[in-house]
Amino acid sequence: MTAAAIMTAVPEKRPISAGALATLLLGPIAIVNGVAFVLPVFNLLMLSFREALSGGGLGEAFTLENWTGTVTDSYYLELIGQSISTSLFITFLTLICSYPIALYLHRSQGAWRTFLLVLVISPLLTSAVVRTYGWIAILADDGLINSILMYFGSENGIRLLFNKTGVVIGLTEILMPYMILALLAGFGRLDHRIEEAAETLGAPPWKVFWRIIVPLTMPGIALGCLLSFVLAISSFITPKLLGGGRVFLLATEIYDQAIVTLNWPLAATLSMIILVVFGAALVFYSRLLRAIS
Amino acid sequence: MKTTNFLTGILFLTATAYPAFSQDTVTLVAYSGLFQERYTKAVIQPFMAANPDIKIEYYPFPGSAQMLGALRAQKASPQSDVTIMDVSVAKTGTDEGLFDKIDESVSKNVVDLYPSARFEGVAGVGVTFDNLVLVYNSQAVKTAPTSWNALKDSALKGKIAMLGAPDLVGISTTIILDHMNGGKNYLQGVDKGIAAMAEVAPNIQTWEPKPEVYPNVVNGLVSLGVGWNARAQVNADMSEGRLKVALPAEGTVLQTNAINLIKGGPSQAAARKFVDYALSRAAQEAFTAAMYYAPTNSKANVAPEVIDRTVVKSMNSVIPLDWIALSKVRDQITQEWRRKVIPLSR
Repeated sequence: MTAAAIMTAVPEKRPISAGALATLLLGPIAIVNGVAFVLPVFNLLMLSFREALSGGGLGEAFTLENWTGTVTDSYYLELIGQSISTSLFITFLTLICSYPIALYLHRSQGAWRTFLLVLVISPLLTSAVVRTYGWIAILADDGLINSILMYFGSENGIRLLFNKTGVVIGLTEILMPYMILALLAGFGRLDHRIEEAAETLGAPPWKVFWRIIVPLTMPGIALGCLLSFVLAISSFITPKLLGGGRVFLLATEIYDQAIVTLNWPLAATLSMIILVVFGAALVFYSRLLRAIS
Repeated sequence: MKTTNFLTGILFLTATAYPAFSQDTVTLVAYSGLFQERYTKAVIQPFMAANPDIKIEYYPFPGSAQMLGALRAQKASPQSDVTIMDVSVAKTGTDEGLFDKIDESVSKNVVDLYPSARFEGVAGVGVTFDNLVLVYNSQAVKTAPTSWNALKDSALKGKIAMLGAPDLVGISTTIILDHMNGGKNYLQGVDKGIAAMAEVAPNIQTWEPKPEVYPNVVNGLVSLGVGWNARAQVNADMSEGRLKVALPAEGTVLQTNAINLIKGGPSQAAARKFVDYALSRAAQEAFTAAMYYAPTNSKANVAPEVIDRTVVKSMNSVIPLDWIALSKVRDQITQEWRRKVIPLSR
């Protein structure tokens, strides 16, 4: 039997096409996402165009009033601006606090590295609510920090709780594990030999850091900032507990409108605005990644 | 033979696993926490003991708005039968067709209800009355406050907590202060109340006391707070004298919880029986004794020492407040709060 004959006798196994493979692999998550995310978001969008009746009722009429009212009301514009600026500030602080830890972790090895990683991840095993209550004990007027300040002569201590300072401190700590893990995931390009080469050529440490380490770790910085920003702007429980009713952010306003005053259409409108902010953050992130690469 | 014995055994076990009678299950949607605990003991358990063919399943929610959300979601196929919620939210539910009317045909006890427990345009009827009070830490505040103006006392700067608008506590306090300062019609504006709240604002430690204002007063985090009488009295009992309750001379406002029959609920006959019991003299007396909500049944005969700790004897100082009409201007009052009150507390 010739080789050609053998070839024709064996039934040919047709490779699965790329399109079919993609459908097979992505199908389940696409279905889950469609049912559990896209559909509810679409419902929310529809709700934002329904009439809000006094006393929390829902009218059937289609209206643009929720949208026009929100984007022309100085209170809501200020709320959106304040939510974005506060979240950006918290993201920046989280980055500043997390970067050295992530860099040290990246360079450590063996059991020590494992131990440090467990330390970084362990706060995630505790609920954010519990950690926030922990901060209340530390930041209160008679809490740990003010007790120390008063011991060293401060008359009344400083106000750290039930204001924006408390929210910033609490959220920064809560977001740090996410930022550190994202930074570590993006530190793949960082190679110690490049730093050594720069030092050999006479670059001072600050220049090595600024010109070598920072650019090489930029993917991690971008990912960590995106994650922290999205989590900060959508966080609700920490601003609610540490803000003392003085810090108004989009997420707390959505809660008030949905749960307290029962204005579901307005809550839906504000929720869609948060989604728009998320979308803008994602566009910025993808452009930044393209610029980096 | 062995097989026959085995099958007989199975049949016997199956038969004994079910009660000898069929049991109707009534699902009650109402407040969680202390309310659930006390209502179960004072009303639900005696009702089930008297009606062994009916089981009450308590489905707790932290607030009326969440209850309304759940009922809206179930509208096409209701899985609950009865709800107890704030009357202003019950009005919204009524307008959306979620409830059946409760009248004398449902419960003979409806005729015994105080007129203020029945509301135009609300399908349900009042099942509890509560009122706004001051709560204070007896170690920090030695003399019981007698006026709402105690909230303006600069000696308590940073030592007062209360829920701010849009919560009912913030709105109610504003209306009381407005009334005290000569405000005539809160539906047309509460300028005097807002001006008075602006004087209170610098003393406020938090507008969001968590988990509630009462434990914060008990443990001394704050010295004075604003809360609701029923929970305040229960917390006073549990605090060994650290938390005390004061009803200021200028009066208070009532808050009413309405009991409602859910339209199309799965156990309608049993639900009507439960509503009838909840409005009865016995149930009203038991729940007032358990949690100091004033009864809505005028025939309820409550012990004097319990009545003294409810609003019943101070009804002449109650400031009339139409919660249903107020809900139309609640958002407007909230906006004024945010612009004129909150900034002064920063």
